[in-house]
This record gives sequence, C-alpha cells and structure tokens, in this order.
Amino acid sequence: MEERPRKFVHVDMDAFYASVEQRDDPSLRGRPVVVAWRGERSVVCAASYEARTFGVRSALQALRAEQLCPQAVFVPPDFPRYKAVSQQVRQILLAATPLVEPLSLDEAYLDVTDHLGEAGSATAVAKRVRAQIREVTGLTASAGVAPAKFLAKIASDWRKPDGLFVIRPHEVLDFLAPLPVGRLPGVGKVMDAQLRALGITTVADPRARPAGELEQRHGRWGRRLAELALGIDHSRVEPERPAQSISSEDTLEHDLPLAELRPVVERLAPRVHAAAAKTGRIARTVVLKLKTAEFRILTRSLTPPNPPGSAEELATLAWSLSERVDLPATTRFRLVGVGLSGFVDAEFGGQGDLFAGGPAKTEVGAPSVRD
Amino acid sequence: MRIKVQREVLLRPLQQVVGVVERRHTLPVLANVLIRVADGVASFTTTDLEVELSARMAVEGAEPGEVTIPARKLFDIVRALPDGGMVDIKQEGDRVKLTQGRARFTLATLPASEFPATEAGEALERIEIDQASFKRLLERTTFAMAVQDVRYYLNGLLVELRDGGLRAVATDGHRLALAETEGAGETEVKRQVIIPRKGILELQRLLEGGEAKVLLVFGRNHVRAELADSVVVSKLIDGRFPDYEAVIPLGADKVIIVDRDVIRQALSRAAILSNEKYRGVKMEVAPGMLRVIAHNPEQEEAMEEIEAETEVAQLGVGFNVNYLLDALGAVEGDRVRIRLRDGASSALVESLSESGNRHVVMPLRL
Repeated sequence: MEERPRKFVHVDMDAFYASVEQRDDPSLRGRPVVVAWRGERSVVCAASYEARTFGVRSALQALRAEQLCPQAVFVPPDFPRYKAVSQQVRQILLAATPLVEPLSLDEAYLDVTDHLGEAGSATAVAKRVRAQIREVTGLTASAGVAPAKFLAKIASDWRKPDGLFVIRPHEVLDFLAPLPVGRLPGVGKVMDAQLRALGITTVADPRARPAGELEQRHGRWGRRLAELALGIDHSRVEPERPAQSISSEDTLEHDLPLAELRPVVERLAPRVHAAAAKTGRIARTVVLKLKTAEFRILTRSLTPPNPPGSAEELATLAWSLSERVDLPATTRFRLVGVGLSGFVDAEFGGQGDLFAGGPAKTEVGAPSVRD
Repeated sequence: MRIKVQREVLLRPLQQVVGVVERRHTLPVLANVLIRVADGVASFTTTDLEVELSARMAVEGAEPGEVTIPARKLFDIVRALPDGGMVDIKQEGDRVKLTQGRARFTLATLPASEFPATEAGEALERIEIDQASFKRLLERTTFAMAVQDVRYYLNGLLVELRDGGLRAVATDGHRLALAETEGAGETEVKRQVIIPRKGILELQRLLEGGEAKVLLVFGRNHVRAELADSVVVSKLIDGRFPDYEAVIPLGADKVIIVDRDVIRQALSRAAILSNEKYRGVKMEVAPGMLRVIAHNPEQEEAMEEIEAETEVAQLGVGFNVNYLLDALGAVEGDRVRIRLRDGASSALVESLSESGNRHVVMPLRL
C-alpha cells in the first residue's frame, strides 16, 4: 500500500435542487423552497436555507415539512434540469483531476494528490473549483479539504453554505476529538444508542477504550470504528463508479413479526425512490432485505418488466417480496431494508405499455399518475 | 374415518389438490387437507382462502368421518411409498395413522370444523363446455397474465361468458392475448369476471383433453369449475379490467404474411444474441422480405432475412422477442399475419386460418 498521505476534496452543492429552482425562478429567491413531490408518503428532496430555519431538511416527510413551514413554496423535482447542471459541475471537477467520484447529482469526492495545480495545494484547488462553479452555474458549493475521504465530507459541512474548510493532517486528531460519535460514517441511530450505552459519546471516547474491545464487540465494523476515531481511513476515490445499488434500511427499535413490517417498508421506499432518482438512472430490480432477531440476513428481489415509477409502487413491490419469506410466523425481525439495483441508463426507451397510449419513456423520478 | 385404498388411486386426488397449499400461512389449518368420507366417496379439499380445490374418489368399505391432516406431508409420504400396495388411513383420537406394509406414520390432526369452507354464493350464470376447448383457450392466453403487477386486476384472466361460448383475455400491459371458443365471436356478453392467476393455473392443471366436459358456474364473487372428479372454486378479482378492445390495433395497415415456423425459428436464433435484459429484436420490413436483427451489449449481432408476403417498404420496429414467440406459439396454422402501423405502435399477430385468436405486442424502443 502506498504510504504517501493523500489529499481529498469533497465538493457539495448547497441546497442543490432548491438553489436551482431559486436561480431559475427569481420569485422564489429569499423564500423557503421545498423540493418534493406531492403525496402522503412523499419525502423532501431538498430544502432551501430559508426553509431549513424552520427545521425542514432532506428526507423529512413532505407532510411534516408542510406543518413546520406552511408558508414554504413546494416545487416538484425536475431531475433532467438538475442533471444538466450537475453535468456542468462534473466538467469543472474533471478539469481539476481525473479522480472524481460522484456520490449523487450534488456531491463528489476528488483526489487531488497528484493534481495540485500551480499553487501546489489542495486548498487552492478547492478554492478554484468553487469559484468556477459559481461562475458557470451561478450556484454555490461548499468544499472540505482533508487527508481522508470521510474527513473531507465532514469538513465540507463545517462552513456550509458557501464555505471552505480545511483539516490539515496534524489537526485531524484534535478536530475529531470533540465531535459526537454519530458524525462518523456508519454510526446511525441504533449504533449510536449502543455506543452511548458503552459510554462512548464523542469521537475521542473510543480511543480511550482498551485495544480490541470494539472489535470484539462489533467485529470488523468495531475495528473500523476504532480506526475512524483516529482519523484512519484507507478508502480511495473511485472515479466514475456508478452506483450498483441504492438502499435504505432501518434497524427497528423493537423486533417485530413480518406482518408488522409493512409500515417500515412504506417509510423506506420514498427515501430509496428519491435517492435513485438523483442518480439520473433507472433501477429495474427491487430488493427487500430483512434481518432476523438472530441476525440472519435474508434478501428477496424482483425485476418487474417496468421499473417502479413511484415510491408507492416501490413500496408495493418491496412488500410483495415479503410473501417469499419462508420463515415460521414466530420469527421476529430487527432490520428492514428496501433497495433498488440493476441500474440502466435512462436513455433506454423502455417497453411500451398498452394502456399508456404509446411506448412510454419512463421519466426519471417522475411519479406515475395515481389517484 | 378410515379408508383403505391402493397407493396410486390415493395419489391422484392428492396431486390434484396439493398445489394450493401455501408453505407460509396465517392459519395453521390451511396447511391441512380436509378428508371427508361419506356414502362410499372420499373427498380431499385444500384452500388458501382464495382458491379451494377438491378431488373425489370412490372408496369401498370405508368408515365415514371427517378430519384434517397436514397436506404436503401426506402427499410426500404417499408419493414415497412403493407402488402397488394398499394404504390404510385411520383416525385414532386426535391422530391419524397411515400404514402400508411395515411402514407406519402417525400424523397430527386439526378438527374438520376449523377448516374454512368457501361460500360460493348464488349461481348467476353457468356454461358447460369441452375440457379440451377450455384447456386450449387457457393455453393460448394465460401466459400473458401479469405477475404481481401493482395493477392487481391484470394478475388474472378475464373470462367473458358470451351467448355462444367463452372469450378469454390476458394482458400484462406489454402484450395481450385473446382467445375465444368457437361461436363466441361477436355475440352478447352475459358475464365478465377476472379469475386470479393462481385459480386459473390450478384449474388449467386439472383440465384434460378428450370428450370430458367442465361446468363453469359464475357467482357474484366466485367462479366454480366442476370436473368429473374434482372441483375448483376461486374468488374473483374485484376490479375493472382495462378496455382491451381499444388496444387491439385492428386499423394497423402494414400487413406482413409469413410462414409461422420460419419466423419462429428465425426469432429463436436471433434471440441468442439479443440483450439478456430486454430481449430486444428488431424487425425490418421491405417488399417481399422481413429481416430480424438482434444486438447485445458485447456488440455481437444476429441477422436473418426471411421471405414474407408484403408490400411494406421501410419499416423497422423493435420487440421483446419472448413476447413475439409467445404469440406465435399460441396461434394455429402454417401462416400468420402480422399487422403494424409504425415503429412506435403495437403489432397484431393472427393466424390466417382461424379467427378468434389475437395477440397484441407493444414495441420495445431500441
């Protein structure tokens, strides 16, 4: 393994979809804008900073967002337009370094170790990229510069919006120490609670634990957690590796029988649908993942002839897979996941539908018309 | 309850009814088969609350009674017993003993009173037809039924009772299959029902060729099919089937007539190099000729030209090759007529030698 420290930049567009809407419609500027589909189970795709002051954020239920901020302007997402802007940004990033790993339409990792440019620093590259993005798209991006990917991501969030934050190699340990452990990638609500029970609340805490304790308790993941707490992360930028699958899962507060999991599936589906729409591609395979109380993992998948066109369809299909779970009725489950895989480019025209008046091109992310 | 019967004789009714028993079920008794012996007849009944299957056989010297025992276990045991021996099934308290020769099995029971009976309700219409024609009707249509579609009313077969016979229609939204028994044609529709996929497939399994008849009884919420020694009762799908006649492109004016076997073989060959996911093949038409082309992501290509009776020039349409092969397999006769309109419209596939069997396939945009 190469020992030379690497330099990463994480670029994250500020409130991307909402900002695009505000840019293109001056009447929205300065007002709380929420990008979301209408619908009972819809979730927020993006919220402008004006809306965020009311507590509206991505992945929140659209209905809840309406309660929190009744004066917000709700705009349905227009992914082809966001995708076009994303392409412009992508070109700017690729001009800086060929090592660009897009995470979605609005964020990407850059490895600039070997592309420090004339100024010879990653910080200078980040500054230049931010300036170019503003010039070309009229939108702002925040950036984080750090010697590890996960640190760069935390850094880009540090001065948001329109900010730049740099974590230098010698600052890493001090910077991380006071952060809540939940800021580390992979620590969700449930893991956070488990760590809390162990007395681990900040990133500094795992460092004080006996070596190997976390590994013993949580296996390979425990070791990774101990490493992350020390700022060690060997992940590399994987240029242009398109997502193979997108999923969302929840560990349940209490283990539940199969028959009671439907609401969980219905809660997860909108998140997955929105995340898949962000990729600009269409996923054909629906996946249901379950983990039993005994930690047995089951997955069931289905590739319908037409990809699910809405979060509701995704939920229905994912839930239909539960019929293929062949376990005793007494089985309890601790985790539910809904996923999409088998991505194809949206350019694929699709199978014509007899009852849609011609071969319908499946619109990326467009909800199907339902009552 | 006690019956003594030859293994092969017992196996047949069990085979007929075991298909409907679900592995996972909400009610324990749904895993069981209800055995009822009365008046020299033993009947075996299973249900998943949507479809009820029942098969009968004559038994001599049986002791009447009724009980339920695990269906799949009983079937697996009987199937695994050696040929030719007599099987003795006897209820003893809350157990059932099954013996053949020196093999003996004790099975758990649940009371017959717990077995959910299907209330078929009032009979509104009935029709008796040859099993052979009904079977043929199903073979030509059921393949096009949707599977687990969110449009739940497509996950079944539309059956229309008409003055002169039956019409069946199945569609998954991408292709549509329509078939009629002789004489059904343009006659008045007396009743229209959607039979769910599972019910229709179980019924299809029970149908035999030859002279035997099947009596179909249509109720408000159920359909009942009575065969010589078995009965299927299926719930109906409560939904509106789409207006299928509107999507049959009778006006498509680009006509191509080809030899059915020739085009089937050409398509099967081309399919080898079609994209595994979309199964796309392109049909290009020129006067007197039909060209079949397939590509895959590896840039491999298949192309074949076949003779066709057509005056159409310059038309290219993509299709899922499986849909075309299904349609061509379901029509009869040596020659088929394919009617097209343009590259974005559906194709109508019919036999030249018979009417009452139409297949519509939507194109694939390649």
